[in-house]
Amino acid sequence: MVNFELSLLSTEIIMAVLGLGLFIIGLILPRGSRKGMFSLALFATLGTLIYAIYDFFFSKNALFLQGMFIHDQFAGIFKIMFLVALLLVILSSKAYVGQFAAHRGEFYPLLMLATLGMILMAGAGDLITMYIGLEMMTITFFILVAYHPNDPKSSEAGIKYLVLGASSSAILLYGISLIYGLTGSTQIFSVAQALGSQLSPVTILATVMILAGFGFKITLVPFHMWAPDIYEGAPSPVTAFLATASKAAGFAVIVRFFLLMLYNQGFAETGYVILLVLAALTMIIGNLMAFPQKNIQRLMAYSGIAQAGYVIVGIIAVSTPTIQALENGVKGVIFYLMIYIFANMGAFAVITHVAQSQGSTEISAYSGLAKRSPLAAAVLTISFLSLAGIPPLAGFVGKFYLFSAVIDSGVVWIAVIGFVMSMISVYYYLSVVRVMYTGSSDGLPSVPVQGAAKFGMVFSMIITIILGIYPTPLAQMALTAASSLVK
Amino acid sequence: MSHTFAAVGIALVVAIAINLIMMLMPKLLAPNKPVPEKLTPYEGGNVTIGRTWLGFKSNYFLYAIVFTAFDLETVFLFPWALSFRKLGTFAFIEMFIFIIILLVGFWYAWKEGALEWM
Repeated sequence: MVNFELSLLSTEIIMAVLGLGLFIIGLILPRGSRKGMFSLALFATLGTLIYAIYDFFFSKNALFLQGMFIHDQFAGIFKIMFLVALLLVILSSKAYVGQFAAHRGEFYPLLMLATLGMILMAGAGDLITMYIGLEMMTITFFILVAYHPNDPKSSEAGIKYLVLGASSSAILLYGISLIYGLTGSTQIFSVAQALGSQLSPVTILATVMILAGFGFKITLVPFHMWAPDIYEGAPSPVTAFLATASKAAGFAVIVRFFLLMLYNQGFAETGYVILLVLAALTMIIGNLMAFPQKNIQRLMAYSGIAQAGYVIVGIIAVSTPTIQALENGVKGVIFYLMIYIFANMGAFAVITHVAQSQGSTEISAYSGLAKRSPLAAAVLTISFLSLAGIPPLAGFVGKFYLFSAVIDSGVVWIAVIGFVMSMISVYYYLSVVRVMYTGSSDGLPSVPVQGAAKFGMVFSMIITIILGIYPTPLAQMALTAASSLVK
Repeated sequence: MSHTFAAVGIALVVAIAINLIMMLMPKLLAPNKPVPEKLTPYEGGNVTIGRTWLGFKSNYFLYAIVFTAFDLETVFLFPWALSFRKLGTFAFIEMFIFIIILLVGFWYAWKEGALEWM
């Protein structure tokens, strides 16, 4: 009576078993010898990543468990994305996690369980599955954000995230319950059918509430208030993971649910207008608020808000009802999220390194970093230039895909705002670079990068450069994923 | 359909109105003579000495969390126990996986000292 192929759920099962397995290993090992957890977590994630890539290319698409779960290339590429982010976080956090003497054993399992939640979100075909994945990710992040045992700032961030995250979940659930009340189903395809093309005040309310719930996760502008405080207070590796993978997961569900479920009905009227206005606001406010920041993690928070605005532009392109526009838009979104992960992870690897070796996340701590650690300074520069969208790097290609998709769909002004804002963003990115290269290094320690963190930094830098020069393979993968969405 | 909800609407309006009236009435009727003693937070007691913020033990909270986990387990176990004949081996294995996950959590709580008093 249970007819589904367990093999299609392999990535999820592997992640669940890994998370719990590492948890048990952390319990069994005596406190002193938990260092081995690092290599174990690293190679386990690498293995899962290789499997996920294999899964992306060679496994079939299916809808199973009565439509609760979707297995397609769209979910596949997001799984790859989350696992890449996890891998880079683990690489960059080795020395940092060493500080958590008492609770070193739980850090990696918690990261893995958060990844499992994201993977569930990407593959969800039902609002309930999606919600469970979302909560699994969010609740794990509550713990991770408050991970510094004796730092009041970290605890404050944890509590803030708990309260705000819970209220955003409540709003999302209320939207879901309205959808269920209207259609009698939580499955996306039945919901899309039942909604039809009717537009009523209740559907608008449900649309807005669901968008608010997801908007919180991707830091869309009116729901972005939590990001700077929490990014600043959280431990640097956790901030890195929160800023990349958690955001990507939010976009995965936005694309899947917002576009498929609400596509037929009033999306063109409600969601479309809201998204246009919010995307413009997100780009403008995110970039302008980044200027006065003195703390690098706050700067990254605002930069992340602006980047979310660029990605939303791709989603706007999707709402033009032709298959080609949809494919181009989703391709842009996926491509941009992937390169965003690499650029952000490169930057956060440096931030984690400086936070760990100098104990500070203020921008003044980066003064003269080019002399004290040339590699770290170079990686941060390349990552920032990619985020700003300077031509030879990956960020430029990503923005090109996003903005050309939206111009093809006929909305030029939003692309213009995007262009102008990315020009402006160069200033605050480069002001950090200026501090690193021209600031004096007097009295600051020499902090050479070593081991796993070095590998992580160099790896994300190389990928950022390569994808800028030769973006075709990733663009092809993104296009395959996008077309699997509409099939 | 909608006229049944009209009654609810009227009840809602009346309920809000009664609250507002009850809050407004003392303002209008009661004499208002504020003196400094009256405005202190502890009008009837002594002035506090030293810090009034006390730390209190969070052990009860930890017990409650562990209890909740097993309480919820029962919520799932009960319908499963009623119908697992019908559901077959698959549900049987599934429930064991669920219990194992819970036990790992319990083991963790135990090992980290959540169950030790003081």
